[in-house]
Amino acid sequence: MTTAGAAAARDAAASEAGGASAFLTGHRRSGPGGGRRGRNRLRRADHAAGWAFVSPAVFLIALFGLVPVVWSLVLSLQQTDLTSPGTWSGGANYRRMVHDPVFWQAARQTLYYSVLFVPITMALALPIAVLLNQKVRGMLFYRMAVFVPLVTSTVATGVIFSWLYNPQFGVINAALSKVGLPQQGFFQSSSEALPSVVGMTVWGWLGFAVIIYLSALQHVPRELMEAAALDGCGRVRAFWRIELPLLAPASTFLLVWLTINALQLFDEVYVTTKGGPLHASTVLVYYLYQQAFVDFDGGYAAAIGAVLFVVILIVTVVQLWLSRRSSPYEVN
Amino acid sequence: MRTRSRLAGRGSGDRLPIIAAASALVVVTACSGGSGAGSGAGSSSHGTVIVWHGYTDVEATTFTQLGREWNQAHPEQKVNVTFAGGNDDALKKTLASFVSGKSPGVAYEFGSSITTLAARNQTQDLSSLVKNTPSFNWNDFFPATRQAATAPDGKIYGIPALVDNLSLVYNKRLFDAAGVSYPTPTWTWTDFQNAARTLTNPAKHQFGWAYVNDGSEDTVWRFIALLWQAGGDLLTPDNKKAAFDSPAGVAAMRLLHDMSVTDHSVYLDTGDGQYQNLFSSGKIAMLWTGPWDLSGIDKKISYGTEFLPGKITHATIAGPDNYMMFNKDDRATAWAFLQWLDSPEVHLRFATATGDLPLRQSETRLPGYREFLKRYPGDKVFVDNLAKNVTKSRPNIPAYPKISQAIGLAVQSVLLGKAQPEAALKQAREQVDQILAGA
Repeated sequence: MTTAGAAAARDAAASEAGGASAFLTGHRRSGPGGGRRGRNRLRRADHAAGWAFVSPAVFLIALFGLVPVVWSLVLSLQQTDLTSPGTWSGGANYRRMVHDPVFWQAARQTLYYSVLFVPITMALALPIAVLLNQKVRGMLFYRMAVFVPLVTSTVATGVIFSWLYNPQFGVINAALSKVGLPQQGFFQSSSEALPSVVGMTVWGWLGFAVIIYLSALQHVPRELMEAAALDGCGRVRAFWRIELPLLAPASTFLLVWLTINALQLFDEVYVTTKGGPLHASTVLVYYLYQQAFVDFDGGYAAAIGAVLFVVILIVTVVQLWLSRRSSPYEVN
Repeated sequence: MRTRSRLAGRGSGDRLPIIAAASALVVVTACSGGSGAGSGAGSSSHGTVIVWHGYTDVEATTFTQLGREWNQAHPEQKVNVTFAGGNDDALKKTLASFVSGKSPGVAYEFGSSITTLAARNQTQDLSSLVKNTPSFNWNDFFPATRQAATAPDGKIYGIPALVDNLSLVYNKRLFDAAGVSYPTPTWTWTDFQNAARTLTNPAKHQFGWAYVNDGSEDTVWRFIALLWQAGGDLLTPDNKKAAFDSPAGVAAMRLLHDMSVTDHSVYLDTGDGQYQNLFSSGKIAMLWTGPWDLSGIDKKISYGTEFLPGKITHATIAGPDNYMMFNKDDRATAWAFLQWLDSPEVHLRFATATGDLPLRQSETRLPGYREFLKRYPGDKVFVDNLAKNVTKSRPNIPAYPKISQAIGLAVQSVLLGKAQPEAALKQAREQVDQILAGA
């Protein structure tokens, strides 16, 4: 994920505890009522001005966002090497996908990765955020320490983890042998490569999830906590009964955001295992990359991208729908 | 994540990844196509040929210097030597330049790119130039370089740019410490396997040999050398069927299996190149590698180079790269420049400055060759290999990258002990036959 994206998400989350989620779910808090007629006229003028202000952005997003998406859908119906004119092949790429065992393996592994990565990241982030929400001397240092992995480049992370995970010379195996535990293969083992990638990406993403939770925690109204304390509610109980429910929008946001990123896993695999050994860590986007830029089979790669697009769309909609139903604090 | 992700397309979470970026590129370049053709022609109207290269460090400075020298001597036939990003991406960039209409006059290309590029109109067939210029002395180039410059139809599309090959590089101190005598030019596989076993010491985390086990071409070409040494070949002579599922193929896979799975004498590199550091730290006794690794070896390590061990032959494999031409208008100037660049004297100067191997046999007979060997004593074995042990080359066919992937998986599964040699070869053979039938 880009740092710009992280910043945007941070801003969105920081704007208000529910802000990010409201933005995602389309909920809007109605403002104080005003003269209806006056507002209508105002609105029309506002609309024109608003569209004028956003039109450069809309144009750029359409050009660099929508056009490529549509283009790739078109490409998925062709046989093309991406640089010479393709030939139309209808649904051939999609039919091929159905019978491609490596595609299904990549799909299974993408799912496996997401199912591990998202819950682990969120489960670790919450307690850390609670700890970082205390008033302790030097807290800024701890907060920065948690956030640093996020701003470390993936390439550097990959190199470091390749050494840490090295079966013969790595620190982790050395530590394991000190306490008498068996040696692991990590990136060199076809059964451990993907879990090892999970470990590395959780480390890289934890800071992001912590920041989201931390900002949400800091926006829990102080009056609520004071009222609870006055009513004789203990600190632990207040966390479970007040803070945790109020974190629901932040959790929703993280769930959606991390899932999308998990389904699009690429960089970490590219800089460490290259999808191996024996395809053991080949995830969908890495497979797509191989098809497009190693085998120059652009049509097939575009078809994989289109399927992934639909999957992400469905997963996101379902997640938002579920969390909207279950969050008591979001319904007006 | 964050620098790479922009390139690689792991975007801010709301866009179709790589393809989006690729199509955006196509859109943008297509939009500028009209003017691109104009300025493409413009570059030749200035009379200057654009020469793309991906050299870095001393290779880059030397190459740029040669370009300057040429321009001073030939003000009417100028070249513009331009760094176009790493050589790894040369093929992608060249293909993208075809879309934009701004192709370079000359570009450095990997040998493996030749069949992809030969299918394009922009790529210049150089056969007539080469054959009608006796002074270019085509047969003087080492055979491997000529094979790599020639497409399966016999047409020449490349001018040799660089050649290397695999030799045995060993750490003398580890051999002394283990009481193993140094490798000889007549070493057999058995000698090699025994030495690797003796040089392996689990207590010290020390390995006899290292093998790049990422399933890429790096994994595959060492296996091909083994296959050739055992008298086998990758494909049938007509390139229509797999031929590696043979007694020679089994012998080669068996050696890998026995060394990796039985003896545990092989460090399996995941493709991050750590074997280089480990060799420099005295943790690995032998490498099969090329001259490019020599400069990275720690100065404290006393190493020797030798021919690869053999079974029937001591065959090794070369990875030659080419300069290719993409503009019809530029041909005369580009051809004159490349002739000069690849002339024995000029190329030997380039080799002496960079440690790259000579391209022509006549370079080794020039007086300057002694200076080259004095500077790069380790290179002698590699140059002798070019004359003696590089007799075959990988098939120059469009399906090769896919064939390589199938074999890479087979080698990987054997090295990891996930498959027996026979089974791995059989599966790879079926895949390769299928690839060749579909092509």
